Amino acid sequence: MCEDAAHRITGVKRAVETPHIQTGMANGLDTEIPRTVEQSTLGPSVSDGRRSHLLSITDSALGYMSLEDILSELLERIRSSLEVDTAAVLLLDEDRGVLLARAARGLEEEVRQGIQVPLARGFAGRVAAEARPIIIEDLDHADVVNPILRQKGIRSMLGVPVQVEGRVIGVMHIGTLVQRHFDEDDVMLLQLAADRAALAIDNARISEQRAVTEIMQRTLLPDALPQIPGMRFSAKYLPAGSGIKVGGDWYDVFQLSSGRVAFVIGDVVGRGVLAASVMAEIRTALRAYMVQGHELTEVITMLNDLLVTMGRSRGATLSILELDPEAEELEAVTAGHLPPLLIELHGEARLLEQTPGLPVGIRTGHDYQSCRYPFPTGSRLLLYTDGLIERRHESIDEGFKRLTIAAQAAAQRTDSSFADRIYRALVDEAPLEDDLALLAIETVPLQDTLEMTLPARPNVLGGLRNTLGRWLRVAGANENELFDVTLSASEAAANAIEHAYGAREATFMVRCERDAHQVVVTVRDAGRWRTTRSHGGGRGLEIMRSLADSVTVDSAEAGTVVTITKSLSHQP
Amino acid sequence: MSAVDIERLDGVPIAHVTEDLDAANVANVQRQLDGALDPDASSLIVDLSATRYLDSAAIDMLLRLGDRLEHRRAKLILVIPDTSQLIRLAAIVGLPDAIDVHPTLPAALREAAKPLSTQPPAPQPAPDRASTS
Repeated sequence: MCEDAAHRITGVKRAVETPHIQTGMANGLDTEIPRTVEQSTLGPSVSDGRRSHLLSITDSALGYMSLEDILSELLERIRSSLEVDTAAVLLLDEDRGVLLARAARGLEEEVRQGIQVPLARGFAGRVAAEARPIIIEDLDHADVVNPILRQKGIRSMLGVPVQVEGRVIGVMHIGTLVQRHFDEDDVMLLQLAADRAALAIDNARISEQRAVTEIMQRTLLPDALPQIPGMRFSAKYLPAGSGIKVGGDWYDVFQLSSGRVAFVIGDVVGRGVLAASVMAEIRTALRAYMVQGHELTEVITMLNDLLVTMGRSRGATLSILELDPEAEELEAVTAGHLPPLLIELHGEARLLEQTPGLPVGIRTGHDYQSCRYPFPTGSRLLLYTDGLIERRHESIDEGFKRLTIAAQAAAQRTDSSFADRIYRALVDEAPLEDDLALLAIETVPLQDTLEMTLPARPNVLGGLRNTLGRWLRVAGANENELFDVTLSASEAAANAIEHAYGAREATFMVRCERDAHQVVVTVRDAGRWRTTRSHGGGRGLEIMRSLADSVTVDSAEAGTVVTITKSLSHQP
Repeated sequence: MSAVDIERLDGVPIAHVTEDLDAANVANVQRQLDGALDPDASSLIVDLSATRYLDSAAIDMLLRLGDRLEHRRAKLILVIPDTSQLIRLAAIVGLPDAIDVHPTLPAALREAAKPLSTQPPAPQPAPDRASTS
């Protein structure tokens, strides 16, 4: 998963390799004329006029022209400098192993029709696969894939690889309608143009990819961790290096309508836009399956089947965990991901023992198994990707050991968030060699007075009831009282949510207090109480009044405040 | 698994509700319950044994479902265990006045097996459900 830090192309200077000249004999035998010319000796052998005409555009324009404009302009100049009829650039799609027409002059159909040439096949495919210039003197007798070349009546062609750091990223080719013998100068001049194009393409790709990847990541990582009373979350996400190497690490936290809370951490193989897009698919699929209420093992099995069926060539490791705050129990399933670290009440840290599972996206039919762990209030959990613990020249066990020690030390301190303390202890002194995602979960005792600001969406109701239930139990409520207060508050909340219907980003507030002998729950929103058309056919208020000791509704211009009071039989 | 798990026993559709029912899922649950209804089914059992909370939106949905079934000469039967908090809630909103409520699934199945009365259902006055407190 580790890739070398990003390199930027700083200059192009290398040998123009042996042109491969196909003379067009009917038997298909190639005649090779080995010629190797050091590019830096280009000067005297190439017409200075032609050369400077080609170079002038790239030097001045690279900075501000779009890639499309640069390529068009470059091809136009190639066409006039080299006195050819057609000029085209095809770019390699590495994942699919095909060349795609990106810009053309005299062959515009190639781009419009989205011509694709498989690697190693046909003319351009061979130029790319063999990474050297190829000349076809007579197209009639050569193996070409692209039908447009023949339709256009092209007779002779010269193609050179477009390379960045010795890696082929595409092909540039020129053609003539009358038979022509391309000479050494032509090859060198075209290679020069191709190298310039390579620079422009690489620059454009880097900034394009960086922009796309950054946008994706911003959208994909939760912008705010959810606020759930009794739980504290903290997270770190750090891409290694910069630019297009931004990667496929991610985490996610969301509360289910049951009140349980789901945590995900994962790492898609590779980096860049493709890894980020696979991560997006996984994240969306996971949320969808989880929201539907599937068991963890079902969720991970369905996700695996989905990825394999979609033919994603990238596997991913991930862990999904579900915390039941009422039962104080954690369930976890892993697909080849590093084990979460559990920090117990008294500060002892240990890796969760899990039933191993294959990374997802590789093959179907794998039987994933989840495990359950007690997670009493005060426990902490750390989910992370390999960037946190893996160091070059060090075994993974060393990494685990360092993590365990750091977590135990961090559990004793409170100077910053738990994730931040772990991160500082482990990463600060060493440069990041890989992406890093880190999510810390802590459960803490509920405050005597609960205050929550919730988004005005019906799917928060389950979580609200769950939180209220936990708080009421701590407050000493018996089963009947717990039911009465929880359902009354849920009704008031449902009404607050209905008030906000249609308003984006609307929220409402719930406050729970206990005084000597009673609990008071206040639900406050920015709308008007609806008596006639209220949800549930107006039955909500009736239910609340029956279950609680008193319910008051204060409706004003600024909003509605519902106050629910219930005395408890058990006095603390 | 979703909010409703449907099975058929001797041709009687039984919808086991696996979650709380509230404004968040009531529309979805209603669709699933409608989907469980065969055109010729004479009853639908909705098993609320695993449900902790029903809010007013869910109660409204159940009452309307009961009305629709009655129009089709079929009946809605709820399973609410005696130990469930929902029994108190059902009493508050007068649910048993409108819908058959039984404490166990076998009891609900016995109810479902009873032949429907040949008389068209007597129009029931809407119970005054606001006078409970």
